[in-house]
Amino acid sequence: MGIIKAENVTFEYIRRDEEGNVEGITTAVDNVSLDIEQGQFIAILGHNGSGKSTFAKHLNAILHPTEGTVWVNGMNTRHEEDVWDIRQTAGMVFQNPDNQIIGQIVEEDVGFGPENMGVPTKEIWERVEESLKAVGMYEFRKHSPNKLSGGQKQRVSIAGVLAMHPKCIVLDEPTAMLDPNGRKEVIRAIRALNDVEGMTVILITHYMEEIIYADKVFIMDKGKVAMEGTPREVFSQVEKLKKLRLDVPQVTLLAYELQKKGLPLPDGILTTEELVQELLDLKNGNLERR
Amino acid sequence: MLRDITLGQYYQTESVLHRMDPRVKLGGTLLYIISLFCFKNFWGYLIAVLFLGCVIKLSKVPFKYMVKGMKAIIVLLLITVVFNLFLTPGTALITVWKLTITKEGLKTALTMALRLTLLIIGSSVMTLTTTPNQLTDAMEKGMSPLKVIKVPVHELAMMMSIALRFIPILLEETDKIMKAQIARGADFESGNLFKRAKAMVPLLVPLFISAFRRANDLAMAMEARCYRGGDNRTKMKPLVYHRNDFIAYAFIFVYMVASITIGRVF
Repeated sequence: MGIIKAENVTFEYIRRDEEGNVEGITTAVDNVSLDIEQGQFIAILGHNGSGKSTFAKHLNAILHPTEGTVWVNGMNTRHEEDVWDIRQTAGMVFQNPDNQIIGQIVEEDVGFGPENMGVPTKEIWERVEESLKAVGMYEFRKHSPNKLSGGQKQRVSIAGVLAMHPKCIVLDEPTAMLDPNGRKEVIRAIRALNDVEGMTVILITHYMEEIIYADKVFIMDKGKVAMEGTPREVFSQVEKLKKLRLDVPQVTLLAYELQKKGLPLPDGILTTEELVQELLDLKNGNLERR
Repeated sequence: MLRDITLGQYYQTESVLHRMDPRVKLGGTLLYIISLFCFKNFWGYLIAVLFLGCVIKLSKVPFKYMVKGMKAIIVLLLITVVFNLFLTPGTALITVWKLTITKEGLKTALTMALRLTLLIIGSSVMTLTTTPNQLTDAMEKGMSPLKVIKVPVHELAMMMSIALRFIPILLEETDKIMKAQIARGADFESGNLFKRAKAMVPLLVPLFISAFRRANDLAMAMEARCYRGGDNRTKMKPLVYHRNDFIAYAFIFVYMVASITIGRVF
């Protein structure tokens, strides 16, 4: 069993009228199973209302499944007594940076998690320093969060989770409210965490460009896992992605269209460099043949 | 425009008073305020002025910042003085038309003015040298004995610090909503008071809704970071007394003794 394991997880939102009678049931997550290994970079993708955020909240024991089970590091999220250990193991970063920063000074906010866990004062300072350095925000430690840009605020939020020394970090659309520059900043920080520190990362997003670095991608639609595999495997199925109303990265789409017109390109090209290389190879190959 | 408002009036500089433990400052200010209302003769006020003078000198904050605080209460001050001056019964000094200034009235009015001035300047020395954050910490620590009678001290302090953190955010939001409503033809500036109050409704409703949404998000984020109330919590910046703080306590004690003996507090 990996660090996170979900087995047949179903979650229903029950709508009630004023008398408390059930008006309708919305199944937000429908029979999802997945197993995530320590150190992996996982992306969960889906458009609005696909159930991806609802699912993410299960990994932190904020929501409990209606049916099925979620294990975090071997702990069942249903067990009340394990809740704090689970939240410490799987840290969570939310969408709106303004609504998750508690401290009035950057370093105080990063220290909030360890303070809650009862970490001794001296160690809190060490943790704060190391976390802020890991996301490249150390020189802003004395600033007020209100004066930072969106990307910087979100990096502070990530540092706040890192200071709790989690094994795994769940990011629920951390870039949705950011401009392209802020988005790049945050994704760079997340990738560094995964590469350098070996942190297990679960990134929930609806931006296709952000998932090309993932080890494994899950695509959710109407609460179900519609596709899964490596980014290359997923992106090679352009038609299916289009049916799920998801945008394919421009390069992948271009390669796909060229392929349809008869160029012998491989499936699932992800980056511009890759396409350029393939095209050059093709050109040189053609020249050699001539 | 709304973003320029700063809460509290912290004046950033390096001084003994800035470095002092906020508990000392809070306690000292409280004692000082109480003493102002207990003095029975003018000597007491002289001591208070001397004490305040020393503290202001130590704080290194320009005096004009202290006087700034006075502007806000100048009307209140005038009203108090005028009422005391004319409405205190006693031996008449001057009578103009139907108004009489009495000897007692003059005395009370002067005392009142002096009291209020010293009070405002004294408390602004505290707010000028202490960040709102430190004040919250000091209150949490200082009120902790009240936990015995089930006063949620930690929770109150946490609410205060969250409120402080969200004031600029909500101000910015107010600004945004205001602009959005103006763009839709809302008029916040003309009309009588009643009309203007009514015009605030389309501003307040969205603001409240968004504040609730933010509160919900924040609560979730706090829980996700293992927040479970004040028990078993450690502090990143615990309040620890240093040598200077004990000296300050001694100084306050001397002030107290002086005001009791000379100011005839009892």
